[in-house]
Amino acid sequence: MKKSHPLRRIVLAGAATVSGIVLLLTLKPSSDPAAASAEGTPQGQQSVAPQGSGGVQAGNGGDQTLTGDVVKTDYGNVQVRITMSGGKITSAAAIEAPSGGRSTEVSTNAVPKLNQAAIQTGSADIDAVSGATYTSGGYKKSLQSALDKAGSSSATGGGSADASGSTGGSTGGSTGGSTGGGSTQAKTLTGTAVETDYGTVQVRITVSGGKITKAEAVKSPSGGRSSQISGDAVPKLNQAAVAAGSADIDAVSGATYTSGGYKESLQSALDQAGG
Amino acid sequence: MSTIAGGRAARRQTMRRIRPRRSPAIPLLIAVWAGAAGVIWLWWSNTPSIADDKGRILNAGRITGLLAGYLMALVVLQMARVPALERRVGSDRVARWHAMSGRYMLCLTLAHIGLTMYGYALQANTGVVDQTIESVKTLPDMGKAAIGTGVLLFIGLISVGGLRKRIPYDTWYHIHLLTYVAVYLSFWHQLSTGNDFAVEPAATTAWYALYGTVTALVIWYRVITPVRLNLRHRMRVEEVVEEAPGIVSVLISGKRLHRIGAEPGQFFRWRFLAPGMRLSSHPYSLSAAPRPGLLRITVKALGDHSTALKGLKRGTRVWAEGPYGAMTASRRSRGKVLLMAGGVGITPMRALFETLPAERGDLTLLYRANSTQDLALWDELSAIADERGARLMYAVNSPDGERPDINPETLRRKLPDIDEHDVFLCGPPGFAEGAYTALRGAGVPARRIHHESFEL
Repeated sequence: MKKSHPLRRIVLAGAATVSGIVLLLTLKPSSDPAAASAEGTPQGQQSVAPQGSGGVQAGNGGDQTLTGDVVKTDYGNVQVRITMSGGKITSAAAIEAPSGGRSTEVSTNAVPKLNQAAIQTGSADIDAVSGATYTSGGYKKSLQSALDKAGSSSATGGGSADASGSTGGSTGGSTGGSTGGGSTQAKTLTGTAVETDYGTVQVRITVSGGKITKAEAVKSPSGGRSSQISGDAVPKLNQAAVAAGSADIDAVSGATYTSGGYKESLQSALDQAGG
Repeated sequence: MSTIAGGRAARRQTMRRIRPRRSPAIPLLIAVWAGAAGVIWLWWSNTPSIADDKGRILNAGRITGLLAGYLMALVVLQMARVPALERRVGSDRVARWHAMSGRYMLCLTLAHIGLTMYGYALQANTGVVDQTIESVKTLPDMGKAAIGTGVLLFIGLISVGGLRKRIPYDTWYHIHLLTYVAVYLSFWHQLSTGNDFAVEPAATTAWYALYGTVTALVIWYRVITPVRLNLRHRMRVEEVVEEAPGIVSVLISGKRLHRIGAEPGQFFRWRFLAPGMRLSSHPYSLSAAPRPGLLRITVKALGDHSTALKGLKRGTRVWAEGPYGAMTASRRSRGKVLLMAGGVGITPMRALFETLPAERGDLTLLYRANSTQDLALWDELSAIADERGARLMYAVNSPDGERPDINPETLRRKLPDIDEHDVFLCGPPGFAEGAYTALRGAGVPARRIHHESFEL
C-alpha cells in the first residue's frame, strides 16, 4: 500500500544498471595487443617442443610427421597429426578438436582415448568413443588422410614438403605440415603461442632457402564472432607473410589483435630459423 | 484488581498461542543479490582485460546477457507456487516481484541483444542488421534463441498496461504460459555461445543447477502437488447460497477437507469443471475455517467468472490449487487485533474473526459496505461477536449516498488504543489505500498493517 512511484523506480533501476556496468567496464584494465604476449611463452614452448623434435628426426630419416585434413563436424573441426616410424604410428595428437561449451569437455575426454587407439591399431580403424560420436568420426577421417599421405610421401621418397591432399579448413590456409624426410632446405618451424584478448594465435611456417614458402596459423581465436574474424584474417596474413618474407606485415583491419598475435608468433618462428 | 490481573494472565495465555513468524523476504532478497554478485564475478574472473571500445560494448553485452539469464530463472521461480513464497512472503507481493523482475529481465535481454550485435558489427565492419541475421544463421542455438526472444517480446507487449486491460484475463494468462517455451528456447544459446560457460565448466554446472532446480520446483508445485491434492480431496460443489445482492457463497464438499492445510485468511485458486468455466482458474478466499467435509468461499459478482458461479449445479467437480496467501494468524505480533473489511473483502476477515486467538474485548471487526443490505454474512458475524465477546462495527453510506469518512480521528474515537493493534486489511483498492493512510495517521506502524492487494 506504500505509495509506489513507477517512473521513479524505472529511472532508478535504469541508472543503477547502466552506471554499474560502466563502472565494471572501467575497472577492467585495458590492454594493447603488443603487451599481451609475455604470458603465452611457456605454453608456446611446450607446443614447440614436439614439432621441433619431429623436424629434427625427420632430417635423420626415420620418423615422419604427418598432418591429416581438417575435418568439419557438427561441433567443430578435427585435425590429427601423427608421427610414423618404420610404418607404425608412434604418436598421435589432435591439433584441433571441437571446443567451447560442452565440446571442450567432450574433446578433453575423447581425444586422449582416440590417440591411444590410433597408436594401438596402427590404422584409422578405431572404435568411436561413446558420447563423442562426431569428434570420433572426424578424428578417424583426419587420421585416414594422414595415413594416406604417409603412403604417398613414402612412394615419392618423402621429399614433398606440402602434402597436396590437405585441404584448407576453417583456417583458410593449407595445413599440410609434414616435413620432408630427405630435404635439407625445407624446414617447418612453429612459433610460440601468443595469447591475445580474443584467444591464442600460433603460426607455423615452412622455410626453404631462407624464404618463407608457406605460413599458416595452427591456432587462432575461435568461438562466436572470433571464428568468423579468424577465417577472414588468417588467409590474408598467411599470404602477407609469404609475400613479405618477414614478420613486418600489415595488420588486417577488423582483426587487430589476431594480426598482432600472428606477427608475434611469426617473428618467434623466424627467430628459430635464424638460430 | 483481581479482574485486571486475571485479564493479564489470560492475555499472556493468548500470547502464548500467538507465534509471530517473520516473512522470509529479507533473507530471500539477500540470496538473490548474492547470486547476482556471483554472476558478475563469473564475468569478472573470465575477463583478463578489455581491449578497446568495441570490447567494452561486447562485454557490456555479456554482462547484461548473464544477468538476464540469471533473472530469467528467478522470474520463473517466483511463479512456481513455492509455499515459502506463497504462504510466507505472500502471493500478492511475489506477484509484484514477478512483474517487476519480468520487466527488468526483458530490458536486460534487449540491451544484451543490442550491445552484442552492435559490438559484432563494429568488429566485422558490417551493419547491425546484417550482423544479426548472420549471427542467427551461423552461431549455434541462436535460431532457437531468436524465436524465444520473439515470444518473450510478444508476452511483454501484451502485458503492457493499456493492452493488458483489453485482453480477457484467461486469454492473457494462457499466452503468458508461453514464457516456459521462450525460456527453454533461449537457454541453450547461453551455454553454447556464452564465452564464460566455454572457459569455465563450473559455471555451466551452476547454470544447469539453477535452471534444473527451478524446473523441478515448477513441476513439483505447479503440477504434482495440485494433482495429489485433488486426488486426495475430490471436491464437488455442494450448494450455492446468495448472501447479499450479488454476493454468493459456494459450499464445497470433499474428503477430509480439514486436512487440506488451509489456515483462515488464505485462498485457493478454483477451477469449476462446468461448461464454459473449465479454462479459467480464479483466486477466492475461504470465508470460514475448513470443516471436515466442507469448505466455503464467498464471492461477489464482479466479472464473468464470479457471475457464473451463481449458476453452478450441485455435484460439479472442483479443481483447487492452494492454499496460498500470507494474511494469516501467524502475521500478528500483538494481543489486540483490528480487522478491517471493505465489501467482499469480508471473506478472509470472516474466517479470521472466527478463529484468531484473542481475549474477550481484544478483537474488533470494522465492516465497510455501501448499505446495510450489502453487509453479507452479517448474521454469522453477529453470532461470532456475541460468542467471543468481540466488537463488531459497520460503516455504510448515509441514505443520501454520502460515504463515511474513515480518517485517523474517527478511528481513534472508536478505538482509543488503536496504535497497539495488529490490523488486517482487505477490500477493494480504493478502500484499502484510504484505510492504510488513516491507520498510519492514527499511529499504527506499517509493519503491523497486514494486507493483501492483487493490483499490479
